[in-house]
Amino acid sequence: MDFLVQGFLRAIELLFAGDAETFSAVSATLVVSAYSLAATLAMGLPLGFCLGYFDFRLKKQVRVVVDTLLSLPTVFIGLVVYAFFTNRGPLGEWGLLFTLSGIAVGLTILALPIVIALSATAVESMDRQLRVTLISLGASRHQLFLSTLWEARLSILAAALTAYGRVMTEVGIAMMVGGNIKWQTRTITTAIALETNKGEFAMGIALGLVLLLIAFAVNVSVSTLRKRY
Amino acid sequence: MGEPLYFITDLVHVYRGQAVLRIDRLDIPAGSIVGVIGPNGSGKSTFLKLVGFVEKPTAGEIAYNGKPAAPFALEVRHKVSLMPQESFLMKRTVSNNVAYGLKIRKDLDRLELRIQTALSWVGLDAAEFAKRPSYALSGGEAQRVALAARLILKPEVLLLDEPTASIDALSAQLIKDAALKARSEWGTTLIIASHDWQWLYGVCDRVVHLVRGRLMGSGRENIIFGPWEPGPNGLWGKVLADGQRILVQKPPEALSAAVIDHAAIVPAERPIPNRDHQVSLSGVITRLALEKASGDIIGSVLVANLPFTTTLAESEVRENGLYPGRRVQLLYDITSVRWF
Repeated sequence: MDFLVQGFLRAIELLFAGDAETFSAVSATLVVSAYSLAATLAMGLPLGFCLGYFDFRLKKQVRVVVDTLLSLPTVFIGLVVYAFFTNRGPLGEWGLLFTLSGIAVGLTILALPIVIALSATAVESMDRQLRVTLISLGASRHQLFLSTLWEARLSILAAALTAYGRVMTEVGIAMMVGGNIKWQTRTITTAIALETNKGEFAMGIALGLVLLLIAFAVNVSVSTLRKRY
Repeated sequence: MGEPLYFITDLVHVYRGQAVLRIDRLDIPAGSIVGVIGPNGSGKSTFLKLVGFVEKPTAGEIAYNGKPAAPFALEVRHKVSLMPQESFLMKRTVSNNVAYGLKIRKDLDRLELRIQTALSWVGLDAAEFAKRPSYALSGGEAQRVALAARLILKPEVLLLDEPTASIDALSAQLIKDAALKARSEWGTTLIIASHDWQWLYGVCDRVVHLVRGRLMGSGRENIIFGPWEPGPNGLWGKVLADGQRILVQKPPEALSAAVIDHAAIVPAERPIPNRDHQVSLSGVITRLALEKASGDIIGSVLVANLPFTTTLAESEVRENGLYPGRRVQLLYDITSVRWF
């Protein structure tokens, strides 16, 4: 047990000393998770709204596909994205392999079904009178979309939080698409995996603590927002 | 009355493969008050959603101010407002619910004052209610806030779907008063669906009767739904809860609906001359209402559990003492029964 305690103490030391390697991984994680969450919400909310709001042919089938994609293995996403971004792949010329942007693309694919499925459920469960009310008060189609999402804001927030939690803690995609390159594409989770393999528990625990702190900060912020709105 | 504000032609609305509304022709003048009555499921709410431009009809045309209009069209979006039967308030404060329509129009001039005024029209004190979240309101208060959210927009047309159903008497009266005030102050056209026919006959320029998705007339018709059973002398009948029998001639189908346009009322103790084709039913007068448009008195007679409506002259009511609670005989001519 001693090595765990020592690791924990060393972790505190690394964090307070502003260890560059640790903070490089923290920075990479925050960047890729922010990029991927922004892209996921930008695409997922309209798609989720359409899936939950409109009745169309094959809706049930689309829903089954989206729900199935919720359990898509991260290593499989990593493999597919790698295959597309590698020099021989169809998108090789974009030069995204072993970059933070490349990781963000993979994480977006991972998080997109979560936001689509949960926001569709949120919109579906809205009172049917909401639509009548908004149109009756003069809402345009665009305002109808935004106001419906705003009414479902707590469920949408939960969807965003779930997606954020998934991308923050993801290892497979970051490892395969990012390559775990020190100072470049090493994220918190890939660094923890590497350091643990090396027996360097201090760095691993330090990074784990940072992950916990970020999760805590995000949840406190969301809780404050929920109370205010 | 002014030019037709609405002109509806060949309107058909289909829901799940079934035509739930079919109106060949209907016009509604600007500034009028139109009542819509009919049994549950007769298509009243569907009709209001279509003329409120919330839904698009399956077929046919609804012209507004002479031009065909559809949901989200600019010509109607900021002019027509529907208050649905189950008023829905958004998860916001009362103030934000009332102001929603103005905010999306970016019409923020003297917003607080306008919110106060709209709330005062429905008897709510802004100081007490404006900051309240919508979930902290009673049913009657929520309905009044929903109406205030429409009144603040000063709509050209206000459609009210059962505005006083399931709410307290005070809220109901405040809602009625506010709707009529909108008409008198701004010339708002009111289209009201309600079971409160006493109110409708009292305030409406015109009352239309919807039955099974079709317009039946003025609302004074008595619709009696089947099933009909063969009875004596080649007649058919329907037995009521108290054992009385409504007699009719052979219906087109056993489930057809019979329409009795006119039924006379005489005091129960008065002897009735025996006439061919005349059927007598025993009932009790339950309500009398004065029809605004015609000045007629509309009486409701409960026969077993079936309400009948009939038109009475003021002298007839006075001389025969036909007041609520009086037991009467309801007479109709069997050959005048129409089928629907």
